[in-house]
Amino acid sequence: MKNESVLILGAGVAGMEASLLLAAAGRKVHLVEKEPMIGGQLIKFEEVYPHMECSTCMVAPQQQAVLQNGNIEIHYLSALEKLEGSAGAFKASVKKKARYVSLANCIGCGACYDPCPVSLENEFEEGLAAARKAIAVPCAGALPNVPAIDPRHCLFLNGKDTQCRACKDACVFDAVQFEDKDETAVLDVGAVVVATGFGLLDVKQNPQYGYGEGKNVYTALEFERLFASNGPTGGNLTLRNGQTPKTVGIVHCVGRSELGYCSGVCCMYSVKFSRFLKHKLPDVRIREFHTDLCVPGKAYQKFFEKTRSEGVEFVRAETVKIASKESRLQVLYQNGGRGEEVFEADMVILSPAMIPAAGAKELAEVLGIKLDAKGFFAGRPGSLSPVETPVEGIFVIGCAEGPKDIPESVAQAAAAVGKILSLIPHEAN
Amino acid sequence: MSARIGVYVCECGPNIPDRIDIDRVLEEISPLKDVAVAKRYRLLCSNDGKKYLADEIRSEKLTHLVVAACSPRDHEKTFMKVCLEAGLNPFLFQMVNIREQCAWIFSEKSEATRMAVKYIRAGISRVTLHEPLLQKEIKATPDVLVVGGGIAGVETALSLAGQKRRVYLVERSDALGGTAARLGRLLPHQGTDMRLIQEKIEHAENNENISVFKGCEVEDIRGFLGNFEVSLKRSGGEPPPEMFRVGAVVVATGFALWDAFDPDVTGYGKIDDVVTSLEFEAMSASGKILKKNGSPPRSVALIHCVGRKEKGYCSKVCCLYSLKFAHQLKDSQPAPDVFEFYSDLCLPEKTDQDVFEEAKKRGVRFLRADDIRVEGRNGKIRIAYRDGSAEEAVEVEMAVLAPAMVPAPDSDRLARMLNIPLDETGFFKEAHSMLDPVSAPISGIYIAGCASGPKSIPESVVQAQAASGKILSVLMLGKTLEPEVKVSTIKEELCTGCQTCLNVCFYGAISFDAFRGVSVVNEAICRGCGSCVGSCPSGAISSKQFTYQQLFKEVMEALR
Repeated sequence: MKNESVLILGAGVAGMEASLLLAAAGRKVHLVEKEPMIGGQLIKFEEVYPHMECSTCMVAPQQQAVLQNGNIEIHYLSALEKLEGSAGAFKASVKKKARYVSLANCIGCGACYDPCPVSLENEFEEGLAAARKAIAVPCAGALPNVPAIDPRHCLFLNGKDTQCRACKDACVFDAVQFEDKDETAVLDVGAVVVATGFGLLDVKQNPQYGYGEGKNVYTALEFERLFASNGPTGGNLTLRNGQTPKTVGIVHCVGRSELGYCSGVCCMYSVKFSRFLKHKLPDVRIREFHTDLCVPGKAYQKFFEKTRSEGVEFVRAETVKIASKESRLQVLYQNGGRGEEVFEADMVILSPAMIPAAGAKELAEVLGIKLDAKGFFAGRPGSLSPVETPVEGIFVIGCAEGPKDIPESVAQAAAAVGKILSLIPHEAN
Repeated sequence: MSARIGVYVCECGPNIPDRIDIDRVLEEISPLKDVAVAKRYRLLCSNDGKKYLADEIRSEKLTHLVVAACSPRDHEKTFMKVCLEAGLNPFLFQMVNIREQCAWIFSEKSEATRMAVKYIRAGISRVTLHEPLLQKEIKATPDVLVVGGGIAGVETALSLAGQKRRVYLVERSDALGGTAARLGRLLPHQGTDMRLIQEKIEHAENNENISVFKGCEVEDIRGFLGNFEVSLKRSGGEPPPEMFRVGAVVVATGFALWDAFDPDVTGYGKIDDVVTSLEFEAMSASGKILKKNGSPPRSVALIHCVGRKEKGYCSKVCCLYSLKFAHQLKDSQPAPDVFEFYSDLCLPEKTDQDVFEEAKKRGVRFLRADDIRVEGRNGKIRIAYRDGSAEEAVEVEMAVLAPAMVPAPDSDRLARMLNIPLDETGFFKEAHSMLDPVSAPISGIYIAGCASGPKSIPESVVQAQAASGKILSVLMLGKTLEPEVKVSTIKEELCTGCQTCLNVCFYGAISFDAFRGVSVVNEAICRGCGSCVGSCPSGAISSKQFTYQQLFKEVMEALR
């Protein structure tokens, strides 16, 4: 008898969609997520192109639906460690790190944050925000709204102050449980869906882009947080010294030539950044530096044209270098036959290539499937559907398969569900 | 029997009592009409709390329940479930949010307390007007109609067909496979082998659970998710007409190539050996890429983006298939000179750029070009173009145009029949362009492949599988459907038949009964959004659980 349960790795927009559809079909879903919350990258964005919809408003109902669905069991702070068996009968070992906070007892009041004596860099805010505590939710509005304790930094758990009970004393719901232990769950599932998403190229590797040292060069994700109303500046587009930028350069294709592929979405989100800027700072001067404009499909070119009509400059630049000049930045670029030109900017935003998520290689080994030459999960040779892998019963969806936009990720999620439901029909059928 | 309302204020630990004087609230609420009990509890959403609430409903013989606690987003469902378990209709319950809307926003305790009292009074005033609504169940047919027998339609049919699920696959032409089956070859990462497509077609033709109707069109479709009635007609108009019932419909009608281009600019139809991409595919499929005079071309121009400007969008796949053509030409002996005239190279998928780099290595010339004009000159084809500010020209023996992909002809007829919208480009509009790209706005109708916009073959196959996934998770064998409970209702005596509501309903849930001259809501389709309620000029429409009376009472109390 085939096991009808499904293991889904990653609770981003693709993993959530697959979970919800399978759960609706009556399937038990084990949703494995490395973070203490669900939602993936999408919850970092204020608005998404091309309709400039509020991103968190769009995904929050999905997140709530996942949290409230009785068929979905979420394994937070977890990762797949071992997979045995075959389609219809996999045995998955999932390593779950202790949260040290009870999901059942905690109501998310946040009374434990202030008393915690430890301050840490806020990773969710790309290091732009004020510090977070050793007991914290990763971001405002995190779902579930239940913190986790970072055992590396918690004074009690790392042994630096065995007397510290600050958070436990502050909690009136008895939700802090220092006695939590890491554990391994062994799950029987019929199919596995890999939805582990993407990472961004580390721009520090390319010194030509002048990133770092407190300069006003931002990565795309940093800029997303800078614009976000729930972000580190409350949505104020300010430079690191608090001033408002008057000129902004946006550099597309960072890493494209080195990595050998186009990430498909950077042109569109870079154009979105111009919208963000024009929306909050109507007089700002913006120049976008691109190679080929990639605005594929029926809805995207109009978005670009409208942005250009609002006075945003678009120039073709074969190579781009960022230099500092006094307190400002210089974008030096090759403009076709016209030779090198210079654009002076207060702020530069880099749009780096999407790369495989950290840990993709190790996960591929655990799953027994291959990565392609670019490091993304490879599809099954001879299949027209990229969600199928060489191992029957294992599917890859969303940006784990390669860079793509939201609707493509969501479609792949539903596609994997279609394959699973027809591969392993319900017993009673 | 008079109403017995139970009002329970949740403390939510310190969250509410720190900022609201709960005893004061209870004092003010207790004497209100119909309030049988008003109590506080430490944490109602805890297991103990839920049990307490259920016991209270039973022992106090409550007829209505009001819980003043957190946001309904957090725990409305939790307490509705408690009602159900305790034998109280869950729609006779009202949640009042005194945490986010009072405790957490007012700095003065007295102010927060005053507002909490108002909100709870508002909740009490509306709950007595609630109707004990019931969840309905609708029987559904698991069978599915797929309109369009291209690669998306074939894949959908193959994914769905099973022993207890019949798929009706309707194709207007005489053959399955659509555009994909007419190609000369596929791209490397698509498996290159055309047999992949042929096999799928054969599997669909031979599957006993798939009824294939070639040379047929949909004559009419009526109904809703789970219950559509379909009639077909032969494309020629002759009988036999077919009629059957399905639970879902998949629109997979594909695309057409734009053909309204100016012959004076493109040379098409005026100059020999200027062909469209699909004509080139046909030559390639027959194994003979030859000029009209029968000799192989010694130089070929591949012209991208024909119609991009006019249509206002990029068709996404033309760059890649033009690269495929270049490789194909370079494979022949002797290999011709190949020139690609492009505006922007659109290579959005992870392996696309490899195909480009490889073409460059094989000597394909890439020319970024504006204002391309194809002219005939002394039996040759002259491609004149602008590169920056310079005017340039190249002479070739064959030119292949990559025209924009446009909606399939007759899309508007099918859209009208199904009551689903097209977008401003003329392609079918998705229910949600981000989160639900394979559904039409009306439940039970799905869109796959190029019917909703230009896509590659793998993307179309993914969409077909996605539509199948959506259908399999809704139309489960042996299961009934549970439609929305809080739907709109129309008071016929007030309806003037103006039909305003028909236009605002996004889900196509309202129809017009011409005989009685009134609008009618189909409760199986209505999602309870309330758009029609607001639009009705005569106030004939109300939404269950959001009646004018309920809202009026609630607002009156809140503003007292």
